[in-house]
Formats: sequence, structure tokens, C-alpha cells
Amino acid sequence: MASATRNDLVETDTSRTDAVAAATVGVSAVLFVLALFALVEVVTLTESLAGLPTVTLLGLLLVLLGGTVVAFGVGSRLGYVDTTPRMSAGLIAGLAAAVPWAAVAWGVVAHTLNFGNAAGFVAAGVAAAAAFAATSFPREDVGSTVPIGLLPVVVGLVFLTSVIGPTWTWPLGWEQPVTFNAELVIPVATLFCALYAGWAAAKAYGGFGARGRRMGAYTLIYLNATSIVAFLFVLIAFTVVQGLPGIFTGAQFGFGTGPESTILGVTFQWPFSLPFVMNGVALLNDFQGVLPAIAGTIWLVIGAVVFAVPLGVGAAIFLTEYAERGRFTQVVEVATNGLWSTPSIVFGLFGFAFLIPRFGNQKSLLSGMLTLAFMLLPLVVITSREAMLAVPDEYRDASAALGVSKWQTIRSVVLPAALPGVVTGIILGVGRIAGETAPILLTMAGGTFTPGGQTVDVIGGFEFTSAPPFVANPELLEATSALPYQLFALITAGVGESSNLANIDQFKWATALILLVVVLSFYAVGIGARYYFRRKLQYE
Amino acid sequence: MAQTTQRAEESAGRVRRGYGRLRDIVDDHEPAALLTVAVMGVSLLAAFIGFLLVSPLTIVPFAVFLVAAGYGWLRHQELTALALALTTTISTLLVLGLIIVFIFRESIPVIQYETATVFGVSVPGLRMFIQPEWEAVTPPVRYSMVPMIHGTLMTTLVATAVAAPLGVSAALFLSEIAPATVREVVKPGVEILAGIPSIVYGFIGFTILSPWASTQFDLTGQGTYLFVGIVVGLMALPTVVSVAEDALSTVPESMKSGSLAMGTTDWQTMTSITLPAAFSGVSAAVLLGVGRAIGETMAATVMLKGVPKLTEPLVNAFYGQETLTSLIANNYGEADGLQLDALFVAGVILFITVMVISVGAQYIEWRMRSKLGGDV
Repeated sequence: MASATRNDLVETDTSRTDAVAAATVGVSAVLFVLALFALVEVVTLTESLAGLPTVTLLGLLLVLLGGTVVAFGVGSRLGYVDTTPRMSAGLIAGLAAAVPWAAVAWGVVAHTLNFGNAAGFVAAGVAAAAAFAATSFPREDVGSTVPIGLLPVVVGLVFLTSVIGPTWTWPLGWEQPVTFNAELVIPVATLFCALYAGWAAAKAYGGFGARGRRMGAYTLIYLNATSIVAFLFVLIAFTVVQGLPGIFTGAQFGFGTGPESTILGVTFQWPFSLPFVMNGVALLNDFQGVLPAIAGTIWLVIGAVVFAVPLGVGAAIFLTEYAERGRFTQVVEVATNGLWSTPSIVFGLFGFAFLIPRFGNQKSLLSGMLTLAFMLLPLVVITSREAMLAVPDEYRDASAALGVSKWQTIRSVVLPAALPGVVTGIILGVGRIAGETAPILLTMAGGTFTPGGQTVDVIGGFEFTSAPPFVANPELLEATSALPYQLFALITAGVGESSNLANIDQFKWATALILLVVVLSFYAVGIGARYYFRRKLQYE
Repeated sequence: MAQTTQRAEESAGRVRRGYGRLRDIVDDHEPAALLTVAVMGVSLLAAFIGFLLVSPLTIVPFAVFLVAAGYGWLRHQELTALALALTTTISTLLVLGLIIVFIFRESIPVIQYETATVFGVSVPGLRMFIQPEWEAVTPPVRYSMVPMIHGTLMTTLVATAVAAPLGVSAALFLSEIAPATVREVVKPGVEILAGIPSIVYGFIGFTILSPWASTQFDLTGQGTYLFVGIVVGLMALPTVVSVAEDALSTVPESMKSGSLAMGTTDWQTMTSITLPAAFSGVSAAVLLGVGRAIGETMAATVMLKGVPKLTEPLVNAFYGQETLTSLIANNYGEADGLQLDALFVAGVILFITVMVISVGAQYIEWRMRSKLGGDV
């Protein structure tokens, strides 16, 4: 339908060649999908597909694909197809063509002909130079189709002649043994050929030249963006499917089934029972759960926010409102950005060396909170500062013109205007730290399975003592669990430790899903809040 | 000579200005307010020193600080707010300072232990980098960082090869190509990708990717740098995308429109105007992605073998032994004495590398901003 918008007076008779080029792009898409299926073993190479052995089918499609691409280029050069090529396909296309040809030449000489690695590298160099020359020197229509179109043809012939059949293997002969198998090599080779041929065909579809290159590049960029979203979707869907059975083990719905709980003095009974999130792990439990880890995560996040947000917002206020832009603000900026990219495990080491000796020489919830607060701090500073800088200076000037003092201006003008940005930043930051494992591994977490009785209750834990520091909270000073650590511990747990779990794999996936739900709900709220505030600001 | 005088004058001028500002503050406020702020400062300093010295009496000066701050807030809010904002800023800097001091301090013993002599000069810590043996139990006890640096290098190379092209392409898509409705879907998607906890990636890698790779390549045992690198690359992807997208949108619209007005296609504008103009910003994005990849811990910890050794041969990315990060996460539990200190050396290497990368990236971004005339 691309021709529907064109002016017929200018371009005529292009619809049929367009259709051929578009069909070629379609064939490469089909091959791409087939190769992906073969890679995840939905399609097996040893069996047949559409009446043909799978490898033969792949080989035929590859030869067809490559042949069409080459024919299109040659046809354009000989004037049968109306295109607008440039003088050369360019250096990037040349380099792109050189890489796969070098790999093919290396494989053929070093493995198939068995001349050894040294000869293989020489052949790779020669092939790369030849492919580069064949791409860059001829006119664009030949240069961008023939070397790239020949690639699927050669690979397809290799498949068709059973040089690489379904049982092909290639042991590399390294000290730590590695073997290339047909099950991997065939789909990967098909995948790359499909990508290259699809790119060349898209260029041809655009008629080469500036429009053709745009078409080729856009095809790849759209493919990339689609793959990222698809990857995300598959990842989440997979975790959900694997995790749901574990979460609903022993679940009951209806009044009178759930446990009793007391919140703010009101005792009520939950109308459902979900043992996985309402129990701990104990020998006598019917169903095991991760309640202590959930409580641990919630308290961790609360603690980190309580420590980090006042500090971060205060620093942002000072940097944007009080300090003059200069050396000092620059140093703080570099320091916060540096802190933000510091690896989480380094924060863990720091907490291990600095906080643990100061809080009773053992891993504790408080150390974990503070460590995560240190990680959250730079993000709060950065996002709050951005939000405050985005508040127009007119607001401040207007307030100052009314004779309002500086702090009053900040409090009643700048902070309310910057609040949406600050809150969004904090929520996104919390989502990040809630999923962090490395810091709490070294500072807070202990034990693989935590009994339900050890669910932390920080508020109920405060008590006063006669000796300094006069206030004590044993709940804060004890090691506890959190969801990310729970998952890590489950992964590394030995067989004996998990003996009281009926289905350890289900338990692991359910833990992963709960963690994902907790973290992603922070993100959903954060992103939602941003859209809400942006819409509101636009309407005002 | 003239330059030094000028610089001395400048710094003297700065001191004078700073003093003048202090005088202004002193003149502007009542003595009672100044006294409150002074009490706050002194008591907070005392509390900090007490905390450093692990004193149980830390609570006393801290309580004094709280009372003073509360009083100041009620009676002299203007100055107290300024003082508190300054305090928070200094605490942010202090966190960085404390990190540097504490991880360096813990690593000193092992640096002294691993002294090596080159050309008659003994260099502390050098032996950790010139021989590849990590042997924590049987004598001679050696703590080499070479295998872990090799591992980190391998995974980071693979991760960069994944994250850089995909990330820059996705950033181009988001900032230049995508229609508004598509962007509204893809952009949160990328952000959510950043939000998936690394342990979840590690779990999926451990239960699905690693066994799959082992059967595909007939490996002995599990764990390959190649697949850890791919997973870490996917984790670094969102960083590259968001920073590169920021950089691309810094390019002034007038430059792009000028190019389009010449009759170029939008792809030509991208390759010959937008990308070259934003090149430094895009490379900063890739650098920050590399920094993320270097520091990634949990996926490497659960997916690798956890044996500090070089792979045979060195280019063998199909086997995965240990990275700097996974060394710490694997060994912190049973390590003590010198071995524990050796973990801190790994932390120091990570910290310095990532800090250099971060400062470098910021310098590049800053230069790009000033080159494009601050049109942010």
C-alpha cells in the first residue's frame, strides 16, 4: 500500500518490483521467526516442517531469499528495475558485509577444510577485504545487495548439501572443552542471514539512495525496539506463569478462611487465605510462605526513605536555592553522580565495614536500612534538584516581590511546585532499591528460611533502657530477611536445607514473582504519577 | 609568575567574598538565632565523632542537636532552614568521603602483604596484579586480582557489545523516530526493564540460560562469561537508552530543521547532524552503561562458577569463573583476616574504575552542553 500515496504522474510501474522487494522482506521475517523458534527448540531441526526436513526448508528459504536480493540488485544495475542508487553503498555497509564473510571464511578454512586456525585467520582477512571492496566500490544497488545476498545463498547451500546437517558438531579442542553443535549454529546463522538479507531487501524496497537507506535503517531500528518490548513482555509473562501456582498453593477464599490481624486497634479477619504471603517457614506448617521476607522488604524501604529523603531534599534545596553556582555545587554534583553509579556491592562493603561494628557487631535491619538509604540518597538529590530547577524563576521573583522571605518562598512556592517531580523520583528510586540484593547480603540478611514468628515488628520493638543510648529496639538490631535476599538464598541453598518444602522450584518462582510484583508496582505508581502530573501541568 | 599572582589574588578574593557572605549572615540575624545554629553545628559534630568512635554516648549530643534544631525551627526558622539544608548537603559529601575512607582502610593490610619487588623497589600491592594465583587456604597464600579482573573484563566486553548498539538504536527510535503514541508505550517499557531486580535476571539466568548453554556447547559444569555478559548487557541497556536519549534531545531543534529544510531524509539528518552533534553525549551514555555492567553483582554471582581462576585459553568466554563483584558476594561469609581485606581490594578496584568512568562521562556531557550553547 506504500504506493497509494505516490503521485502516479511521477512514478509509474514500480508496484510490481515493490511487491517483490516487500515479499523478500517478508521472507526474511519468516526466517527470523523460524530461527528464533529453532533456538528455543519449539521447532526441532531433526524433524520435518511443511513436508520437508527442517534444515532443508531453512536452506531452501535462505537460497531463495539471497537469490532474490542478488537478482534485485543486478536487475537494478542493468536497468530492469527503476531505482535511484548512489555511487557507493558506503563504509558502514562495507564493514557490515565484511564481518559475516570473515566468519564464514574462517569456519570453512579452519574447520570444514581443516587447515588450522592460522590459515583460517588469513582466509578471514582476505574474505573481509573482498567483501568490503565488493560492497564499497560498485554502485550502491550492486554493492549493497550482491555481497550480502550471496551470504544467505552460501549458508543455504551449506545446509542443503548437509555440510552442516542436524547432527553436525565441531569441538574447538580448547583445554576447557567447548563444542559448537548444529542445534545452535544453524538457527544463529539463519538468524543473522535473515537480518542481513532483510536489511538489504528493505533498502531495495526503498529504491536505494537516501530513501532506501532510510528504509533499511528504520527496519532494523523498529525491529530492535519491538524486540526490547517483546523481551520485557516475555520475561514478565514467563515469571508470572511460573510463579502463580506457587503463590496460590493452599489458597482459600471466602469469609472465615483468612487469618486474623489487628491494624490500629481494629481486629478483623481477612476474607481470603493466601499461605504463601501470610506464613513463614516452619516444620509444622501445611503451606510454607515468605511473610518475614515481605515484612523485611517493607521495613527496609520505609527505613531507607526516612533516612534518605530528608537528607536528599535538603541537599537539593541548598544546591538550587541557597548556593551560588560555582566550584562547590559542581563538586557536590560530581560526587552525587559518582555515588549514583557506584556499584551496589561497594555500598554493601561500606555498610559491612562502617555500620556493622557500630550496631552491635552483627548484621541488622538498621544497617540494611542505612546502606540502602546511602544508595537512595544520590538519586533523591539528583531528581529533586532537577524538579526544583524546572520551577520557573518567575515564581520565585513574584514571591520575593511580595516581600516574602527566602525560606518562606522555598516552602510555599518552590517545594509545592517541585513536589510531583520529587515524589516521582523517590518512587522510582525506591523501586530500584527494593530489588537490590548485594548491599543487604553483606549488612542485613541472615538465614535461608525465616519462621513466621520472626516477622519484624519495628513499632512494637521500641523499649527504653537505663544505660546509654537509653532507647533500644532489638527488632532493628537483628538480622532478618528480605525478598531479594530470600530469592538469592533459595538459589544457593543446599538440598538438605529445603527438605521441608514440598516443591522447591515452585517456591522459588513464586518468590521471584512476588519480588517482581512488589518492585514493579513501585514503578507503575511512579510512572503513573508522572503521567498524571504532566497532564495536570499541561492543562493548567 | 604573573599567572600565580593572579591566581593568588583570585583565591584571596574568593576568601574575602566568602568572609563577606558570612558577615552578611551574622549581621542579618539575631544573636539568639546564631547561637542556636552554633549549638546545632557543634552538637552534630560531636554526635558524628561519637558515632565514629563507637561511643554509646553518641545519643547525648544527637539529642542536643534535635532539641536545638526543634527550638530553632520554632523561633528562628529562616536561619535554621539554611543551616539544615547546608548540613544535608555536607552529609551527602560525607557519605562519599566515608565510603572512600572505610573501603580503603580495610584493604591496606592485604596490600602490604602482597608487596612485590621490581628492579629493587618494593611496591605494595603489586603482586596482586602480576601473578594469577588466588589461593586463600594452603600456603603460600596468594590473593591475585588477575582472574577476577579478567572475568569482569570479559563480561563487560560482551555486555557492551549487547547494550551499546541496541541501546543507541533504541534511543534514536525514542527521541527521533517513534510517533508519540508508540513512544508512550516503549519508554515506560524501557524504564520497567531497568526496574526488574538483578536477582530475578540472575534467577532466570541460573535456572534456564546456564543449563541451556551447558547443553548447547557441551560444557563441563555451568556458568559462562558469554551468557552472564548478555544478561548484564540487557540490564545495562536502560541506562544507555535513557542517557543517550537525553543527549539526542539536547541537539537544538533548529539544527535538525535546518538540515531537513535542505531536503534530506530524516535518516540522513540523524546520521549527519543529530548523531555527530550528540556524539559525545551518546558515548557518555555507553560509558555509563559500561559502569553499570562492571558493577553488576547478583547475576554474575549466581550464574558463574565462583572459582577464581583464569579461563583456558584466555579468550574462552564459554566458561565463567569469577568477577570482582561475585568474588565479594561469594566469599564475604566465610572470609576473615587477610582474605576479607582482599575482598575490600576488589571493592576498591570497582569503586575507582566506576568513579573514573562516571567523572569521565560527566566531563564529556558537560563539554557537549557547553558546545551546543547550553540549549538544554
